[in-house]
Amino acid sequence: MRGRARPAGRGERGRQNQGGGVALSTQTIQAVVIADYDQTPQVEWVELQDPGPGDVRVRIHAAGICHSDWHAVTGTLPLPMPMVLGHEASGTVTDVGPLVERVRVGDRVVVTWVPACGHCFWCLNGAPELCETANRGAVSGTGADGRTPLRWRGQPLHRFSWSGTLATAAVVPESGVVRIGPDMPWREAALLGCAVQTGVGAAFGAPIVPGDTVAVLGLGGVGLNVVQGARMVGAARIIAVDPVAWKRELARELGATDTVDASVDVLTALLDLTDGRGVDVAFEAVGQVPLMALAFNAVRRGGTAVMVGVPMPNAELSLNAFAFPSQEKTLTGSWLGGSHPARDIPRLEALWRSGQLRLAPLTTHTYALHEVPEALQDLLSGRVARPVVVFPDAEAPATRARTHDPAQAEEE
Amino acid sequence: MTVFKDAEALYDILGGFFSDRVRWTDEAHLIHQVGGPITFIFERPAAQICWVPEAASAEPEEPSSERAPFRLVLGAAGPTPLLTFRQDGDTAHRFWLGLLDLQQALARQQVRAQGPLSRAMKLLPHLDAIYPLYPEYLTSRGHGDLLPPAAGLRR
Ligand SMILES: [Zn+2]
Ligand SMILES: [Zn+2]
Repeated sequence: MRGRARPAGRGERGRQNQGGGVALSTQTIQAVVIADYDQTPQVEWVELQDPGPGDVRVRIHAAGICHSDWHAVTGTLPLPMPMVLGHEASGTVTDVGPLVERVRVGDRVVVTWVPACGHCFWCLNGAPELCETANRGAVSGTGADGRTPLRWRGQPLHRFSWSGTLATAAVVPESGVVRIGPDMPWREAALLGCAVQTGVGAAFGAPIVPGDTVAVLGLGGVGLNVVQGARMVGAARIIAVDPVAWKRELARELGATDTVDASVDVLTALLDLTDGRGVDVAFEAVGQVPLMALAFNAVRRGGTAVMVGVPMPNAELSLNAFAFPSQEKTLTGSWLGGSHPARDIPRLEALWRSGQLRLAPLTTHTYALHEVPEALQDLLSGRVARPVVVFPDAEAPATRARTHDPAQAEEE
Repeated sequence: MTVFKDAEALYDILGGFFSDRVRWTDEAHLIHQVGGPITFIFERPAAQICWVPEAASAEPEEPSSERAPFRLVLGAAGPTPLLTFRQDGDTAHRFWLGLLDLQQALARQQVRAQGPLSRAMKLLPHLDAIYPLYPEYLTSRGHGDLLPPAAGLRR
């Protein structure tokens, strides 16, 4: 990958006719592409169109890698191929398209993956994370118009949920970026894009009252943030469950009061820790059906189980039906932590600034773009909770306000 | 009132659509990218149809009118499927009319899928080319009564 030939047009701007007679400029960028399911992700030179109406181009400085990226590789999250991976990042806005109002060139931003339309049923009813337009684009790997700003080998190239941030640059809707302050390190800011909104948001949205006991099943980038969220809303006991010892220790550092090795009988362990009553709220943060059932079975009468992990779209779950009425149990789900990014990313940033939200312990393992295959392996093997790809000048603190040229950037 | 009154009607109408139309479309060749048989199991009426990919190079010396990329097994188990879709007859009818959002149908268990769904992704984007053939086929076979009122033609 490192030694890939440099195509002639690299770094140069070309004109491309995009149907409808509108000629748009493109840039050549580097991106992590999966050509088809189960293929190793490769760094490829791809064409990125200039931002159209309502879109912005972001030069990526840091990008997190999520289990969902891996699920796209294996097809357990069946998305159209070929595709650029990545859906959480931080970066600098380098170009804005027509009609962009809130964002300017030079802004430091977080890129997130549910750019809500603002006017569908769900957006109007306070659930922009379920935005119909955003969902359609996520499923089709394109924008609302069925097009993608990316091309590779002469073909349209899909992107993971409107973003495709494992790349030197991305063109995303204005509503897919949120401004951050000048002092926030890129790699920490990147995690606000998915893991933190999803994990902390799930805890904030759950019926936890101060003094509660909660269980968190699965301590990846999301689960560890559920732990932090539960701490921030006043849970007295936070029981962190994972088979990997160092993740359980990291969970303690982030607020867990108890840990359970997931290789034991977890249900019995959780009942033992709660005088046989069960936990008030349990979170499943992996997306495995047996763990989802376990979360439901581990909550007390009147308790709530929150499904945060993403299973396969055709997965089915079997539960004791009698428990719903007779024990008043609630089973619910959380998507992107129920986040309204423009409202919640500034709140998360404020919590980070106050020291309540800790991000540095989650960004200890960094990789270069060409190391994404290794990063995915480290994610799967449990060696790393949240791999973060950093780009050459990622730690530069200053805001940049100039035209982005990846060829130039690489030589800086 | 169900669309297919019994299994015979389902095999005649939906089976006929698969064998007379779907198999002869350009899109039908994509079944080779799926990489295995697809079985549709129906409830109301109870029925079963399997799409079995035909080997691309099956006995080339033997002249055959059957050059479609897959063959159909109606009413019997067929070979072990790679993908299985369970739905009732009415849901299948609405699916082939292009009136069903598959993502929603899976979430509501109107369609229950087993097997690697990602393999079906090769076909899904191409269904838009096939959907219009179904109402056309129904009309040509004298089943215009099975078409929904025009006003209902949306998801
Ligand atoms: Zn994610
Ligand atoms: Zn919306």
